[in-house]
Amino acid sequence: MLGDIINPYHLQIISFILINIILGISIYITLSSGQLSLGNAGFMGIGAYTSALLTINFDLPIFLGIILGAVVAGVFGILIGIPALRLSGVYLAIATLGFGEVIRVIFVNWESITQGSIGLSGIPHLGRELFKTFKLTGFDPDMLGLKNNQFIYLLVVLILLLVNILLVWFFIRQNKSRVGRAFAAIKMDEKAAESMGINITYYKVLSFTQGAILAGFAGALYAHVMAYISPADFAYHRAIDILIFSIFGGSELIWGAIFGATFMTILPEALRFISDYRYMIYGVILIAMMAFRPQGIIDVSLLKWFKKKLKLKRGGSLGIGTKKYN
Amino acid sequence: MVLELKNITKNFGGISALTDVSFQINEGEIFGLIGPNGAGKTTLFNVITNMFPPTSGEIRFLGEKISGLKPHKITDKGICRTFQNIRLFSQMSVLENVLVGGHCRSKSGVINSVLRTKSQRKEETNSLEAALELLELVGLSKFQDSIAENLAYGQQRRLEIARALASNPKLLLLDEPAAGMNETETESLFDLIKKVQKRGVTVLLIEHDMPFVMKLCDRITVLNFGKKLAEGTPAEIQNNQEVIEAYLGAEEDDEIA
Repeated sequence: MLGDIINPYHLQIISFILINIILGISIYITLSSGQLSLGNAGFMGIGAYTSALLTINFDLPIFLGIILGAVVAGVFGILIGIPALRLSGVYLAIATLGFGEVIRVIFVNWESITQGSIGLSGIPHLGRELFKTFKLTGFDPDMLGLKNNQFIYLLVVLILLLVNILLVWFFIRQNKSRVGRAFAAIKMDEKAAESMGINITYYKVLSFTQGAILAGFAGALYAHVMAYISPADFAYHRAIDILIFSIFGGSELIWGAIFGATFMTILPEALRFISDYRYMIYGVILIAMMAFRPQGIIDVSLLKWFKKKLKLKRGGSLGIGTKKYN
Repeated sequence: MVLELKNITKNFGGISALTDVSFQINEGEIFGLIGPNGAGKTTLFNVITNMFPPTSGEIRFLGEKISGLKPHKITDKGICRTFQNIRLFSQMSVLENVLVGGHCRSKSGVINSVLRTKSQRKEETNSLEAALELLELVGLSKFQDSIAENLAYGQQRRLEIARALASNPKLLLLDEPAAGMNETETESLFDLIKKVQKRGVTVLLIEHDMPFVMKLCDRITVLNFGKKLAEGTPAEIQNNQEVIEAYLGAEEDDEIA
C-alpha cells in the first residue's frame, strides 16, 4: 500500500532537497556570468518574509505571496546588482555578504513587523492550504490509502518537483541560447566579451537578478513549507551552504547545483547515526573534494562521458540532445 | 572614408601614450600600423574601440562620431578587433566562440530563447550557418567541436579573426595577427586577410613582421613614442629616412651592434 511506504519524515527531507536545488540553481545562474555572490541568503530572506507577511497580514493566497516574494527579491537584485557591477571576485563576495547581513539585521530589529529574532510563526502551510481546497471538492486522501498528514507532505513534494522541473527546463534552454553564451563569454573574459558586442552591464545585472529572483522564490517556498521563519534561517552560514551546493556539485553545469544540493542535504541526515561526528565528516568531504576535484563533482567532461555511455547502450542510434552545436 | 582619427591624444597620468595622432582609412584598404615596441599601437586600438577613452581628439566612423560610445556599441556599429595576447573564450568550443562573435547581429532575449519561438530558431540557424561559413573561411571547419584552448597557436589566431568577422564588421582591427607564426602560417594568414578584404571589410592591422606588412598593406602609418612619424605606401615608408632611423634601424646602429 502507498500509505505504508510514505514516511512524512522522508517527504520533508525531499522537500528540503527540492528547495535547496532551487537555491543551488540561484547561485549557479549568478556564477554562470562569473559573479560570486554571497547575498543569496539575503534574497532568500526577502522572499520568505515578503510572502509570509503578505499571507499572514493580508490573507493573500499563498500562490500570489510566493510570486510577490520572488518579485520583491528580484527588485532588490537589480538594486544591488547595478552598484555591484563595479566589483568582481572576492570583493563582490564580501559586498554581497555584507548585504545579506544587513537584511538579516533588519529582520531582527524591525520588531513591529518581523517580530524580531523570535521569528514569524503561523505562516500558512503550502500543503495544508492546498489540502483544504482538495477537501472542498470532496476529495479524501483515504481514497489513496493515505493519512491526511502523508497526503499533505506528498502534495508539497509534488508541487516542488514540478517547480524544479520547470526551472531546470527554463535554465537549460536559456543556457543553450544566445543569452547563455553571453553569460559564459563574460565569465571567461569580460573584456573580450565586451569587444564582441556583448552589453556586459545588461547581462551581468540580468544574471544577478535571476539569481536573486530564484533565491527569493526558494525563500518564499521555504516559509510556506516550514510555516515558521526567523532571521537566523537567513544568516551567512546559509549563504555559504548555498555556495557549497554549486561549488561542490560543479558550477559549470546546472546538474552540478542539483547534485550538490541533493548530496549536501542528504549527507547530514544520512550521518545522523553518528551524530557527534557528522559535521566533521561533512567537513572532511569538502576538503577532500576541493583537493581532488576542484571543479566540482559534475563537470563537462563527466557529462560527455556519461552521454557517450548512454549512447552506446542505445546502440548509438539516437541523437537526442547531442546536436553538434550544443 | 571608413575611419577618421582627429588629433587623438591619450595620457596615462603624466605619461603621454599618444600625442596628436591623426589619420584616415579609406574603404576597402588594408592599412598598416607599425612602430617600435611601446609606440602606442595597441593603445590606439584600445582608444578606437573605446576600451579606454581618448584624453582629447575625435574618432569618426563612416562619418559618425564614435568616441565616447561603449565598446559593445562600437562593435554594433561595425568595428571589431582581435587581441595581441589571444583572448578567446578558452573553455568554449571553436564553434561557440564564433557564435558569440555574432552576438550583436542577433537579438533573441530570455523569453524567446526559453520558448524557442520561430524567430529565435531561425536566428540560431542563421547564426550557425554564418559561423560554419566563417570557420570554413579560416580553415578551422574540422575543429569546430574542439575546445578553443586546445588549438595550436596559429589556429587560435585564425579563430580570433573568425570570431571578429562573425560580428559582420566593416572595419576589422588585427593586433599582431602574425605574431608567433611560422612562415607557412604567415603565408596562409596573408591569403586569409586578402580574402577578408575581398569580402568588403576594411582592415587596420598592427604588425611587426616587416616583409609581411610591406607586401600586404595598401598604406602604412608609423608611430614612434606616441607620435605619428610618417604615412604612405609601403614603398614610401621603406624609403623614408626618418622611419629608417627611428624604426628599421640606421646603418650606424648596425655597425655598433
